[in-house]
Amino acid sequence: MEKVGYLCTFTPKELIWAAGFQPVRILALNQPVSLANSHLQSYSCSQARGSLERMLKGELNFYGVIFTRSCDTLMRLADIWEKNSSMRVYNFEFPTKLHESSIGFLRRELYDLKSTLEGWSGKEIEAEELISSIKLYGELEKTLNMLFEVQPDYELLLKAQTQNPIEVLEESKAKLEELGRKEELKSRLKSRKALVTGSVCPFPGIMRLISDSGFTVIDDLCTGSRFFTFDVEYAGINSIENSVENSVEEAIDFLAKKYFQKAPCPTKNYENERRFNYVLNKAKEVDAVIFLLLKFCEPHFFDYPQLREKLEAMGKRTLLLELEFPVSEEQLRTRIEAFYETL
Amino acid sequence: MESETKSEGKPSKSKIKKLKATKRMQDIMLGYYLQGRQAERVGWVTSGAPVEFLYAMDIYPVYPENHGALIGASKQGPYFSSFAEEKGFSQDLCSYARCDLGCIFSETSPVGGLPRPDFLLACNNICNTVVKWYEVVGRIYKAPVFLLDIPFVRKELKESYIDYVENQLYDFIGFLEKTYDTEFDEGKFKNVLRLSIEGVQSYGDVLSMGKHKPSPLTCFDAFLNMAPIVCLRGTEVPSIFYAEMRQELESRIKQGIFAVDDEKYRLLWDNIPVWYRMRWLSEFFIEKKACMVADTYTNAWTALIDINKKNPIRSLAETYIGIYLNIGLDLMVDAINELIDKFDVDGVIIHSNRSCKPYSFGQYEIQRMLEVPSVIIEADMTDSRAFSESQVETRLEAFLETI
Ligand code: SF4
Ligand code: SF4
Repeated sequence: MEKVGYLCTFTPKELIWAAGFQPVRILALNQPVSLANSHLQSYSCSQARGSLERMLKGELNFYGVIFTRSCDTLMRLADIWEKNSSMRVYNFEFPTKLHESSIGFLRRELYDLKSTLEGWSGKEIEAEELISSIKLYGELEKTLNMLFEVQPDYELLLKAQTQNPIEVLEESKAKLEELGRKEELKSRLKSRKALVTGSVCPFPGIMRLISDSGFTVIDDLCTGSRFFTFDVEYAGINSIENSVENSVEEAIDFLAKKYFQKAPCPTKNYENERRFNYVLNKAKEVDAVIFLLLKFCEPHFFDYPQLREKLEAMGKRTLLLELEFPVSEEQLRTRIEAFYETL
Repeated sequence: MESETKSEGKPSKSKIKKLKATKRMQDIMLGYYLQGRQAERVGWVTSGAPVEFLYAMDIYPVYPENHGALIGASKQGPYFSSFAEEKGFSQDLCSYARCDLGCIFSETSPVGGLPRPDFLLACNNICNTVVKWYEVVGRIYKAPVFLLDIPFVRKELKESYIDYVENQLYDFIGFLEKTYDTEFDEGKFKNVLRLSIEGVQSYGDVLSMGKHKPSPLTCFDAFLNMAPIVCLRGTEVPSIFYAEMRQELESRIKQGIFAVDDEKYRLLWDNIPVWYRMRWLSEFFIEKKACMVADTYTNAWTALIDINKKNPIRSLAETYIGIYLNIGLDLMVDAINELIDKFDVDGVIIHSNRSCKPYSFGQYEIQRMLEVPSVIIEADMTDSRAFSESQVETRLEAFLETI
C-alpha cells in the first residue's frame, strides 16, 4: 500500500485511507540535523527541521504529502519540501478561525482534498469506503482514549500515527483487554499527577522519564491525547449508510464537524477562549503542569505566559521544558526530578 | 521614524543625501500618533489588514508593527522587548510583538504608549504570528479580536478563498456596526477606497523612481517614508505626501543629484529592514557605490484594488489575499524577478530575519531561483542582539566583489 505523509493532526486521515493510501504522520527523530541546514534556517522548530532532514536523507518513501495550514513554519515547509523531493505535495487550507462561520469553508476544502487524493490514486472515493474509514478511525480513537484512561502507552500511540490503523487497532484492543484483567492497576497510581502540555514530542522515552520521576501523567500534546480527542457523536455516522444518495456529502459533513470539534490547539483561533479553558479544565485534577514546548514554536510560546499565570492562579506549579532535538534525556531527567522535589 | 544619528556619530560627514520628504513624513507621523490620544474609536490592526473599513467608520487605526519599526529605528528594541521577556514571552518570538507587549507592560514607548483598543483586527495574510500576538493583547485589554482569516495561496487563488474572505468582510462590517452602534456608510466607504487606491498609486510612483539610472532614491528612503501608506492608507494624506516626494525626486534627477555618487551596482533588498542599522547599511553601500534601488517589502504595499469591478468588497478580498507574504515560493520568485527586471538589478541582498518566519523560511530556495546573484545576511528587524556587524560586513564585501 502506498503511503501519504502528513504533519499536522488537523489532517483528515480518513480521506487518505479511503483513497487507498496509508496515512503516516511525519515526525522528527532524535538526531542532529545536517542536510536540512541548507534549506531551513536554524530558527525553525526541530519538528520542521527534523522532518525535512529525514526526507532529504531519503528515509521517507511516500507517494505524496499533505501539508495542513497551521503555523507559518509548516506553511513555508510545503514549498521547500516540494522543491527537494519527487513526492506530490498538497496544501490543505484548514481554517485558522474555528468559528461557526468557517465550517462551510472547511467543507469546501475537504472536497478539494478529496479530489486531489482521487487524482493521486486514480479512482473515485466511494461513500462506502469513506464511511468505513471514518468508522475505523473512530474506533481507533475510542480505544486509545479508553486505554489512556487506564494506562497511557506512548509507544502504541506513536504506532497509531505511523502504522497501519487496522493493525494498531487490534493491538490496542488486545492491550486494553490485557490491562482490564490486571487488578493492581489502580493501586499503581502514583501520588503526584502532572499534566504535560505542548506541541510535538515524538519520543515516548521522555514521557516515560516523567512518569519514572514519580508522576502519574496525563497529557495535552499534539503527539499525545490531542491525536485522538474529538468531541463528536459517532451516532451520526452509523445512520449514514441508509441514505445512499447523499452519503458522500453526509460523510464530508461529518468530517467537517469532527475536525472542528478536535481537541483545541494553539495554532487556531477559537471563540470564548476554548483553548485555554480546555487546558485549565484538564489541569483541575493535577498537581503540576509541565510545558513541553519546542523551541521556536510561536503558537505555543505566545500562549505560555498567560496560560501559566492562569494555572498558577489555580494553585498549580509549573515547569517549562524547551526542547530542541536531539534532546539529552539525562538533562531533562535532572530538571524533572528537581521539579518533583519542589512539590 | 527616527533615523539613527546620535550613537553612530559623525552625522556631518555622512554621505547620505536626506530627502526633505523625510522630515515632512516625521511631522505627519507625529500628528498621526498625537491624533491617537484624542481618538474616540480605536482599533488595532495588522499591517496587511483592510484598514479601509476602519477609516470609513471614523475609527482610529493603531499599527503596532509600525510602532515596532519606530522602536527598532530608535534602537530601543532590546529595551522594550525585555519587559515582555520578563513576563515569560520567549526571546524567539517576533520582535515587533515583543516590543509591543513590552510597551504595554512598561506603560510607555517612544511615543508615550499606544491608545487602548476597543477591538483588534488581526489579518493573517502576513503571518499567523499576529493571530497569537493579538490574542495576547486582547486578553490584556479585555478587547475582542476579530480574525480575518486569509487562506494561503501556495499555487493558485481559488474562488472558494475569495468567497470565504468576502463573507468574513461582511461579518466584520456587522461586527463594527455592533461595536459602535452605527450603521456602515457605503458612500463613505467608497470614498475611502478611492483614496486608498490613489495613495497606493502615488506610493507606487515614488518607488518606481528607482528605475532611473542612476537612481534618485534608495530603498532606505522608501523604508523611512513608508509609514503613511501603511498607517494612513484611505485618507488624503498619502497621495499628497507621495506626490510631493515624487516631485522632489524628479527635481533631483533634473539637477543630476543621485542617491549614490557614481552608482556602480544596483541592488535589491529582500525582507523587512534592519531598523537599527539603517544608517550603517546606507553608508556602507554608498561607500561601495552600490545603490539599493528597490526592495520586496515596500513594494508589497503597491497591490491595487480593482474598484471598477462590480463588487468592491469582493475585489478588496481578492487584493488582500494575493499580497506578497501570502503566496507560495514560486509566486514570490516571480514577483522578485519582476522587480529585478523592472529596476535592472545586479544582485539581491536577502535579510534572513529571525523574527519573521513567513518572510524568511524558503529564502534558501528562493536564492536558487533568482535571475541574479544574491547573498543572505542574518539579522533581526528590531532586536540588535541578533546582529553581528562584522559578520554582515564581511559577507556583503565578499558578495560585492563577485558581481
Ligand atoms: S511545533 Fe510549533 S512551530 Fe513547529 S510545526 Fe508545530 S506548530 Fe509549527
Ligand atoms: S512575524 Fe513577520 S509579518 Fe508577522 S508581525 Fe512579525 S514581522 Fe510582521
